[in-house]
Amino acid sequence: MSDGGYNERRSPSERFLPPDPRVREPYRLTPALALRVGVLGGVALLVFAVLFLRLWSLQVLSGDEYLNAAQNNQLRLVRVEAPRGPIVDRHGRAIVSNVAGTAVRLWIGDMPREGRHELVQRLAEVLKVPARALAREVDEGREDPLTPITVKTSVGEEQVNYLYEHQAEFPGVEIAQIYLRNYEYNTLAAHILGHVGEISPEELKRLRREGYRAGDRIGKAGIEAAFDTYLRGDDGRAQIRVDSLGNQVSDLELRREARAGYALRLTLDIRLQRAAEDALRYGIDLAHQNDNWAANGGSIVALDPRDGAVLAMASAPTYKPSIYVGRVDPKKLQPLLDEEVARRANSPGLNRALAGLYPPGSTWKPVTALAGMQEHVFSAYESLQCSPVAYYGLDRQRFQNWNPYVDRPMRLDEALAESCDTYFYEIGDRFYQRGKEGRTRMQQWARRFGFGAATGLDIGGEEEGLLPTPDWRWKTFESDWDRAWNPGDSIQLSIGQKDLLVTPLQMASFYAMLANGGDVVTPYVVSGVEQPGAKGSPRVVLRRFASPPRRDSGVDSGALSAVRDGLYLATHSASGTSSGVFANYAVPISGKTGTAEKVVPLPGYPSDHLEDQSWWCGWGPSEDAKIVVCAMIENGGHGSTAAAPAALRVFERFFGEKAPSTVLRATD
Amino acid sequence: MIEAAARPGIRARGPRAESHPLALVRRLDWLLLATAVALVAYGLWVVAGITRFDIPGEPDYYLVRQAIAAGIGLVALIAATLVPIDLARRHWRALYGTALALMFLVFLVAETIRGSKRWIDLGFIQFQPSELGKVLFVLALAGFLVERAGRVTRWRTLLYAVGLGAAPILLVFLQPDLGTALVYAAALFSLLFFVGVRWRQLLTLIVVAVLVILSVLWFLPAAGVEVLKPYQTDRLTGLVDRDRDPSGLTWNVNQSITAVGAGGLTGRGPTEASQTRRDFLPEHATDFAFASLAEQRGFVGSSILLLLYLLVIWRGLRVITVAGDLYGAVVAGGLVFALVFQVFVNVGMTMGVAPVTGIPLPFVTVGGSSMVANLLMIGVLQGIHVRGAPARRSFP
Repeated sequence: MSDGGYNERRSPSERFLPPDPRVREPYRLTPALALRVGVLGGVALLVFAVLFLRLWSLQVLSGDEYLNAAQNNQLRLVRVEAPRGPIVDRHGRAIVSNVAGTAVRLWIGDMPREGRHELVQRLAEVLKVPARALAREVDEGREDPLTPITVKTSVGEEQVNYLYEHQAEFPGVEIAQIYLRNYEYNTLAAHILGHVGEISPEELKRLRREGYRAGDRIGKAGIEAAFDTYLRGDDGRAQIRVDSLGNQVSDLELRREARAGYALRLTLDIRLQRAAEDALRYGIDLAHQNDNWAANGGSIVALDPRDGAVLAMASAPTYKPSIYVGRVDPKKLQPLLDEEVARRANSPGLNRALAGLYPPGSTWKPVTALAGMQEHVFSAYESLQCSPVAYYGLDRQRFQNWNPYVDRPMRLDEALAESCDTYFYEIGDRFYQRGKEGRTRMQQWARRFGFGAATGLDIGGEEEGLLPTPDWRWKTFESDWDRAWNPGDSIQLSIGQKDLLVTPLQMASFYAMLANGGDVVTPYVVSGVEQPGAKGSPRVVLRRFASPPRRDSGVDSGALSAVRDGLYLATHSASGTSSGVFANYAVPISGKTGTAEKVVPLPGYPSDHLEDQSWWCGWGPSEDAKIVVCAMIENGGHGSTAAAPAALRVFERFFGEKAPSTVLRATD
Repeated sequence: MIEAAARPGIRARGPRAESHPLALVRRLDWLLLATAVALVAYGLWVVAGITRFDIPGEPDYYLVRQAIAAGIGLVALIAATLVPIDLARRHWRALYGTALALMFLVFLVAETIRGSKRWIDLGFIQFQPSELGKVLFVLALAGFLVERAGRVTRWRTLLYAVGLGAAPILLVFLQPDLGTALVYAAALFSLLFFVGVRWRQLLTLIVVAVLVILSVLWFLPAAGVEVLKPYQTDRLTGLVDRDRDPSGLTWNVNQSITAVGAGGLTGRGPTEASQTRRDFLPEHATDFAFASLAEQRGFVGSSILLLLYLLVIWRGLRVITVAGDLYGAVVAGGLVFALVFQVFVNVGMTMGVAPVTGIPLPFVTVGGSSMVANLLMIGVLQGIHVRGAPARRSFP
């Protein structure tokens, strides 16, 4: 047979159907196979009979028993909260740590159905929390009886003892040990640190994959938010046996140990930070003394110009981060959360150092000078007239100098030292005269220096600011009149006015570039992650964040040194704008004042009322810079009378060198 | 083929019978299909209940994923129905190779989850090859056995078959996934059973298997050789003396039994079912899904699921009898017994009548691979049915 092999393969087994080699047998169901199908059917029936009987016996015959077992006298799995990692300053001093606290939780499922409201009433009385709000929470939680309500997080010892003694009268009330965030220095560095709160539904949706659970506490702002994954530990699990009233009847039995969060080391120096915050208040006080009564906020940023490490970052007004700890008082949080209340309190939640936008005024002049020299608009040795007033444009628009008593030609160093406006108007106009392309050149250099974009600070939350360009005007405005880029736009930009907006951090990082010889640094505030060792033993460094690399700004060294000379004269020459503050200081300081007009609507004034923003940015020592300080006092008047003396306080703390008495003279 | 076609009452099988897809549709086992659809729908409803509180704020998280898997599974079902089963018989070697390659791949690239390497991360989904491998395993081993159908009663062939089956079983066992390895072994046994191995030989195999199990669990450990991981031994022997340590090793089973019992006649509903919601029940969306179902929906809800399984098994047994060739019959037999075994072990485990091993509950357990593989299995049964002999509706 030609297809014998195939035939053999097709034929059923010899037992079922003895193959006849001559005939191709079609497959068919044999009695033997049918028997085996029957056997499998029988087995299946038997198996399911067992399952049904067992199910019947468990659920119907002894269902009540098991229901009882499930409801009462149960093991309850509880989370053992992991302590959040501490935050320490550059020398290892703890800024944020944890303290153990006692929390009272309410398990609605374990509360009796009758008399819930009296129970809530009594509990509220004992713990001194508003009864009505608690009752509302209990009502809302009825849908979900197995999620406990946190009634209060820092419960006093007396109250805890009372609750323990009267445990039987408070079914469903649980007393738990938790960790609370402790801010060792009260309001110090509040804006950088941020705060911690219960995870919101939106955050949970986003972060579920990273292992966050409902009820977790999570960083909401600042470092707490940006580095939450390091700071949070892993919660442990334990089981306890509770009786039918929800009372604990056995000891906590650990099933998984909690792992504490890692410590973060910052680049901040807590003593310098305090000096900066004190200096900020001092600057505001000075402004008040000079009749700038509207001065009510500001910011000081101190950077290490060599690598961008943030040494101090102050913002005023500030708040106590501790108001977020425990059961929060909505009234205390209002200035931070409610827009209207925040505006009246001058936005204490805003970190002005990185999210406050201001025109930079004369502190911008080094940008104009560098861009002008790079683009060969003028030369450092060219003399331009410094006059009380200058006229530009077809309509001979009038532009004033802040100092009406000067009328002589100046070179760049002198113009920077005395902050001559008309000198820079001339550079601005020359940029304008260069036509469409030339009008964007200064902005391009400013972008290289880090303006108009976030500096890249590792905790985020930065504003980008605004670098006005002809394109921007065209896109932003509607009418032809507003859309045009006029000579005034270039001229005002040259002295840091009109539409230009920067953050104090951008300013500080620009001055760091001037100070370190032309490299743009990226500011950073977290330097490493550490494992908190056992008490007393040193921390183990898990991860060091390398300082972000410096970028060459491409500025010519000649142009840079001309600007640096000018900024040295500004603090040391007889007519320097802040010589009165810095000339006699032991450490040579270079820097520039700024008095920037900003539209500030104040009650009782027209809506376009202008207030002077007081600026001072600079570094020290002049030739081997170790620190850059940028101070800004909102509505603080002249740069030399508020911001400059405030900045000096920071230098004093940093160099450990007190300054002799200063002369405050109102200059630009 | 001439003789065969000439015989009255017997249809010729060949390319012509496959030619028209519409002809296949008419000959589908509609009851089996309806039951499968009902199982998927019921399974989704159960998943919606047991995972409702797993992810706060997103009660439908698992439901949506499970429904997508069911959609993919439906495509697999249709494909398996349309592709001639004969293709699998002829290319069983390729299928066997694929199954083995998948198992090896798990070892190379799989992530270790809870101590075992079972899942391959494909980025958007996690793929569990041992589930799909189950169907491939049955198709391949059946191909081998049917090829030697005339010689399966020889010990040589029998041992060869056992050896061929042992390789993937061992690989799955080493993942380690003891439960699925047991399902594979049960399927292999069933294949031998339906291909016509003698009762005497089957009995011998059973005795040997029991001896191996006993030695792995008790004799060898007593002699100092550990084959199983300690937790596996504990879970398997935990069935024997459950009250030994109520809060320790058999904690899971006791919690599971409590959950099942607490369900009562009509169940406690998803909100009140504390065993599930408070996480007393371990793996309530996967291995212990039945206990969770029993707690939430009670005897009534659980019985509906079991009856649906019984319907599938009945139709599956019927597919064996109407199969057009021995290969179809053996494959159907292997798949049906694997299902019976899997349901018994999983459901039995939650009620303390079977050892605790992590195997999924078909059509219910949260897991896309399992859902797709089970629908693929239904598709293979349909494929056998449509190409079978509709005339032979009852036993001859």
